[in-house]
Amino acid sequence: MKLLVFIFLTCVSFTNALYSQTDSINVLGEVFLTTTRLKDSVYTTNTIKLKDSVLRLNQASLTNLLNFNSTIYLKENGLGMVSSPSFRGTTASQTAVLWNGININSQTTGQTDFNTINTRGFNTIEVTAGGGSVTNGSGAIGGSINLINEITYNTGFTNDLFINYGAYNTYGVNYQTQYASKKTSVMLGLSRNASDNNYPYPETDQINVNGQYHNNNVSFASGFKLNSKNTINVFANLYKGRRNFSVPTPNALRTKYTDFNTRSLIEWESYIGDFNSNLKLATTTEEYEYFANINSDFFTFGNVQNFIAKYKLDYLVSRKMLLSAGATYTHNNGRGSDIQSKTRNLAAATLSLKHEISKSFLYEIGLRQETNEDFGNPLLYSFGVHYKASSFYQLKINTSKNFRIPTYNDLYWTGLGNPNLKPETSYQAEMSHLFSHKNAMLTVTGYYNQVTDLLRYVPGNDGVFRPENTNEVEIYGLEGIFSYKKKIASHSVSFNATYAYTVSENKETDKQLIYVPFHKLTAAFGYGYKNLSAYYQYLNNGEVFTTTDTISANILDSYMVANLGIDYTLGRQKNYKIGVQILNLWDEAYESVLNRPLPGRNFNFYLNLNF
Amino acid sequence: MKKSISKYVFLLLFVSVFTVSCTSDDRDDIVQETPISGAYNNGLFILNEGGFGSSNASITFLDNDDQVYNSIFSGVNNRDLGDVAQSIGFNEDNAYVVVNNSSTIEIVNRNTFESIATTTSMIVNPRFIEFSDSKGFITNWGDPNDVSDDYVAVLNLTTNQVETKIPVAEGPEKLVIHNGKLYVAHQGGYGYGNSVTVIDVETQAVVTSIEVADVPSGIIVANGSLYVLCSGKAPFTNDETVAKLFKINTATDTVEASLTFPSEIHPSFLELDNNNLYYTIAGDVYVVSIIDFQLPTTPIFQTSNNGLESLYGFKVNNGSIYIADAKDYDSNGEVFIYDSTGILQQQFSVEIIPNSFYINN
Repeated sequence: MKLLVFIFLTCVSFTNALYSQTDSINVLGEVFLTTTRLKDSVYTTNTIKLKDSVLRLNQASLTNLLNFNSTIYLKENGLGMVSSPSFRGTTASQTAVLWNGININSQTTGQTDFNTINTRGFNTIEVTAGGGSVTNGSGAIGGSINLINEITYNTGFTNDLFINYGAYNTYGVNYQTQYASKKTSVMLGLSRNASDNNYPYPETDQINVNGQYHNNNVSFASGFKLNSKNTINVFANLYKGRRNFSVPTPNALRTKYTDFNTRSLIEWESYIGDFNSNLKLATTTEEYEYFANINSDFFTFGNVQNFIAKYKLDYLVSRKMLLSAGATYTHNNGRGSDIQSKTRNLAAATLSLKHEISKSFLYEIGLRQETNEDFGNPLLYSFGVHYKASSFYQLKINTSKNFRIPTYNDLYWTGLGNPNLKPETSYQAEMSHLFSHKNAMLTVTGYYNQVTDLLRYVPGNDGVFRPENTNEVEIYGLEGIFSYKKKIASHSVSFNATYAYTVSENKETDKQLIYVPFHKLTAAFGYGYKNLSAYYQYLNNGEVFTTTDTISANILDSYMVANLGIDYTLGRQKNYKIGVQILNLWDEAYESVLNRPLPGRNFNFYLNLNF
Repeated sequence: MKKSISKYVFLLLFVSVFTVSCTSDDRDDIVQETPISGAYNNGLFILNEGGFGSSNASITFLDNDDQVYNSIFSGVNNRDLGDVAQSIGFNEDNAYVVVNNSSTIEIVNRNTFESIATTTSMIVNPRFIEFSDSKGFITNWGDPNDVSDDYVAVLNLTTNQVETKIPVAEGPEKLVIHNGKLYVAHQGGYGYGNSVTVIDVETQAVVTSIEVADVPSGIIVANGSLYVLCSGKAPFTNDETVAKLFKINTATDTVEASLTFPSEIHPSFLELDNNNLYYTIAGDVYVVSIIDFQLPTTPIFQTSNNGLESLYGFKVNNGSIYIADAKDYDSNGEVFIYDSTGILQQQFSVEIIPNSFYINN
């Protein structure tokens, strides 16, 4: 049997071809009702699905993965240090990060630090652009990223070991063991990543000082089919990381930071007649400690425990109409060195309808009523249509109202917090054109997004910064996503590219927000021949303003970075793979945050064993 | 065959897009002409501290022909100044730039701005520098969270190395030298101070400590007396206290008189010009005569009338009032120069977060 070596071909699959899924509404029973079909899915926006094989080719941080494979702009305070996204020109806390459907953005900062997510713990990462607050709640304004453990059955006992080692004593060890019978599936993954991270700053005689990090991740996913109608899934994730924050200048006081995050989820799915019921109960904890002086025992901390309950009932009204009702309850309990112990409770009810009027036309409506009086009980909505003109062309239109609630820091920071803050609100609309032809697929999306009551820290005349609902931001842009794959005899080629043009303006000043590039382009080429595969990743980030006056002297230059990788599959069962990667192939001197240089050309080796 | 060749040419072109970098290094920045070395001996330095962690501190120079030159340190020395430049001290031919978050002192020739030395050893979170004979005295917070590791570093001006540390109370900030004594105001680091430490310059020993009010942010010697402006604790501390202005007898090192500000008023800065003390409240400029020593009820002028957003630097010299506007702390700041009656004379853009002024002549 010939092992398929197309890495990229299978890796980035765009769920744009969703019509095949809506068709399945007609096919009652198992096909449609196997959960993921309609669960939390929106038919009128676009999602990129990054599968296991592509996750493997990237470094283990979510920053690296999304930098090279999505339109999201990432700013990283030096390799492995604090990293935050700007999705469709929005701020760092306007991207919702979900773990198996549960929102895990920090309650203290409102953001997820993308360098504290180890992608090796997941087998699918979905990136959905645009508003998603109706399904994903607070923060889903620029888009949502869902970290998923997909449960597979009937694969027997399998083990997978992935080891990489490279420059600056950077290593990763990832081991996954799985047992999956017809009715039971249990997966345990263990992962450790570490680096001395003392890379030289290109074109200078300086090195990255105090940048060393290590992190450990445990992931667990299991599914139990109790009977033909009931399934229980249990998920857990544990992340413990320690980073020294690299110093901006070599003699500065050295600091360190630790993260400890836990997530656990139990999910009960049941299918009874035309009903599909889904209950999720989850607890998550987040904890950080910051040592402003690495040699001192003194630290500041934040600690939040969350309990989340989500229930959803889908009812298949007819073969072409699905009605869903749901409720979400979130309880947060947080405290910190500068936050007195506070609990808060949030609840929301959701109602949605998906209706396939004809084989080529579908619309969907979603409503979400929030019930927290502090935030004015906002009613959120989404509405979209999907039109399939032919097998070549499809059109999607979606409009939604989304929000983000203030964080613990914003509300409760001693002396500075502002308990009167309102949520940020976003009204947006987008239109996507999808073109499919043989092996190629192109999606072009235009969008408009208006964010009001933007939360910012504004200096008072005493020079002290306090959070306020400030101005309005108007964002519009264009996204293009292209994929192509072809196989001729033993050769396979693939090409994937994303491009984003983003205008994100403060309406008060009519100036582009800082750290939002007008242009971002990514591309990936893959080539496979028999046991050999090679790939080339390319990233080009446009210049960004680093000051709000957008003057050219304070522009951070655009940059391009490329990686080249090659691997070879061995073994009688084709179950060993060795590979090498040249990262930053062209030795570009670049930084994504002012005066925080990233590494020049360096090498990484990897080995993958399946047994 | 021909077809396949054109195919390859296309492929080559296509590939070149993703291999050749088309980045904005090539953009034509407006390159600022730096005056030739030796041209800094007549004019005004404006220190721009830069964003915390951004390592973009810089120095602007205004020459006597009103020409503005930005980034003179990096222009002359071809490297960045560092992260959060706090203050500059001048002694003989040298300027000592205190770079807080870089924990360095950049020593340059004050007239050419060419680097002489960078002092790093025994400097942790430095704030301000003063001089006496062959020594420089630099206040240091150390680890800002540690209330017991603060000190005054004694810099040997010949070797440019720190010789010793004089441990002091938390948060040493501005300092003055008078009559062989060093007066160190403890504004507070991450906490809040309320004292002035007196150190004998000769023996480098702490002589006494003078208790003042909370947050002594300004300290100046006028007519043989020491004046200390205490801002009081701000409301966000949840322990708001009143502001006071002290007059201290430097012979006995005791408080001779004090003026108390109305509650909820938090003045900053303290400048001396022509027997008058100047300070600011929010964006308004006030003056106290050292002869009457009475608090005024009205400002001499309000900077907000000129569109000033965040008053962050303040100096009064020879009838001119220099004010730095940090704006939103995330863009280039501006400088406003007024005459002593508050008539705006000059206004120009500088760099990120201007915090202080130094006259070189």
